[in-house]
Amino acid sequence: MVSPHPSERAAVITGLGVVSPLGNCFADVAESLLAGRSGVREIAAAAGAREGRQFAAPVMSIPQPTAPGYDDFASLGRLEQLCLAPAALAFADAAVANVVRPQRIGIVLGIGAEQLKAWELDFLAGGKRVFEPQRSEALVHRIARRLGIAGPAVAVAAACASSGYAMALGRTWLDAGQVDACLVGGCDILSPTAIAAFYNLRALSRRSDDPHKASRPFDRDRDGFVMAEGGAFFMLERRSEAARRGAKVYGELAGVGMSSDAHHMVTPCSDPTEAARAITLALADAGIEPADVDYVNAHAAGTPVGDAAEAGAIRLAFGTAADTIPVSSTKSMSGHLVSGAAAFEAVACLAAMQREAVPPTVNLDAVDPACTLDHVPHVARPHRVAIAASNSFGFGGANLCLVLRKAA
Amino acid sequence: MHTLQFQPASAPACVVESHAIVEVPLTEIRALRDAPSPVGAPPLPPRFLRHCDEHTVVGVRVVLEAIAAMPEPAASFARYGVIGAPLQAGRISAAQTLSQVAKAGGIAVSPHIVPQCSLHALASAVSVGLGMHGPNLGASGGPEALSEGLFAALSLVRSAGCDGLWLVFSEWDEEPILDDTGAPANDPLCRAVAVAIRPHTAADTAAVTLSLAASDTPAPRDASAHPPGSALATFAWALAACAGGGAIASWVHECPWGAEIRIAASSAAARATRPQVAATARREAA
Repeated sequence: MVSPHPSERAAVITGLGVVSPLGNCFADVAESLLAGRSGVREIAAAAGAREGRQFAAPVMSIPQPTAPGYDDFASLGRLEQLCLAPAALAFADAAVANVVRPQRIGIVLGIGAEQLKAWELDFLAGGKRVFEPQRSEALVHRIARRLGIAGPAVAVAAACASSGYAMALGRTWLDAGQVDACLVGGCDILSPTAIAAFYNLRALSRRSDDPHKASRPFDRDRDGFVMAEGGAFFMLERRSEAARRGAKVYGELAGVGMSSDAHHMVTPCSDPTEAARAITLALADAGIEPADVDYVNAHAAGTPVGDAAEAGAIRLAFGTAADTIPVSSTKSMSGHLVSGAAAFEAVACLAAMQREAVPPTVNLDAVDPACTLDHVPHVARPHRVAIAASNSFGFGGANLCLVLRKAA
Repeated sequence: MHTLQFQPASAPACVVESHAIVEVPLTEIRALRDAPSPVGAPPLPPRFLRHCDEHTVVGVRVVLEAIAAMPEPAASFARYGVIGAPLQAGRISAAQTLSQVAKAGGIAVSPHIVPQCSLHALASAVSVGLGMHGPNLGASGGPEALSEGLFAALSLVRSAGCDGLWLVFSEWDEEPILDDTGAPANDPLCRAVAVAIRPHTAADTAAVTLSLAASDTPAPRDASAHPPGSALATFAWALAACAGGGAIASWVHECPWGAEIRIAASSAAARATRPQVAATARREAA
């Protein structure tokens, strides 16, 4: 929806950082996704958690950034670590620090419930911040200062689509000339209260007998999603600037489409019209036709209503092309990174492009007849992916589609 | 450092279609929850706000006030988006939830805490309640909410595939003081400001505009550098002053990263636009 790009103004990805249940670098994540490896496991019940055996997709270790200035990393809260680590990795990977002035670098952080999580984690550690009438500096500004970013710094939230909205906003800044480089992405953290809230909402899978099988998007026997944590960040730059400095390019953020269902604060809309409109807008923004898309990374979290609604939206937006475009949900392996999901799934799309294979939907034993698409069950499918579309949907009816294009 | 191909940019101006400010004491938000629509505003679905955070209740109300104040209300806002920028929304509910969890465990956690008390909730409630199908998202949540919300809105209004945007801010004039159960011990005002904007066109001769100008001289990024008083209250005053009779013709808000956001009133606009400060249920009227 950014006005048509002369190609030199296209937003390309020149840095990538990821911390996830499936690995902490692009290569490891790509390897895990294409091997059909699950990050879901049983987790220890934390204080304040719901009853019974618990499972999720946690980050097993958070890498400390190797650049100078992170000596205090271990003392930071886990949410800040989960956000700062991939942000710092992407920042370092892009190597913009010495070529773009700090005032011309922006940051957009997609994070849906920063304060709720911060209050909860403090409370669980014996703190009282939630009861105290104080206002603390937001995470996005702390990260900006830490990385030496002096341009615009904004946090955005669209529930499970948050990090995708961050990517969309950063691309807009780049296109408008507000910045010359923009760090975009998002993260989230597993917290007992969030797990309990989603469990009480009956949004989580209850297959506690076999956690690896719990996340089963599009399957006839799906019963909810599996929570995960982690984050992913990208450095966006205009193609011309990236080319001028000889930067490595992972791919292009070629199109963005956004819409709202205006239906319900919690329940997904069974009418696919608005979700399909977001997809259609993204394709138009990228200047492509439905049949040009080689892979759709579905939002599909494994909820009964949401997956069927998305299948309908894909059918509506892609028409007959939906019969032959491979579709998969990598949440079957990664779990649902919530605020970080859209950015993580953009990493999955880039992995599909680089490895020329579509990651599978594991646990897809019997496709729900309401979700008939060209699924990729259980194992990766060799397939050249030059253009991928990635859907993200969130509470409050937020719809987002990103189109990514392989680097030329 | 390389030479910039694209210099710091100034975005084209946006027209302020309507705006309003509402200030409601915490103790009166319950009543507002049950009867949110003022005269002249569209109705909401029944009991729509019953699970909403206080910021959302007041935020929805201020949008309704701004709609009611429009001389010629738009037939529909279906193609508008919404950006909500509440400051520390959800703290009362979070405190109450955590207090209960400490006693009863996870079963005490309301399923509404995430969808209704997260940063997106205010924008989503406006979108859902008033049928707006443009993008809906939250911005900031922290002390720089005014800068972040304005910058995001002025960046997205021309690129988000919608006709316009509602931008809604909210804050407590002083943060609620909560006891160990999360019960408030004071009665602060919840202040909300709504602004409807759309891209400026050549046909807009009488208009109050919002515009974004880049600056290369950012203010220091220091959390302690905020001037005393509320930036949002000052913004609301400036908006009303520019729109409501020409008390001032322009006003500038400087973002911490150096960008400037300017409100400007044409002289024609100052004559034509009636004041739109709808301060309902102010403390002094309570």
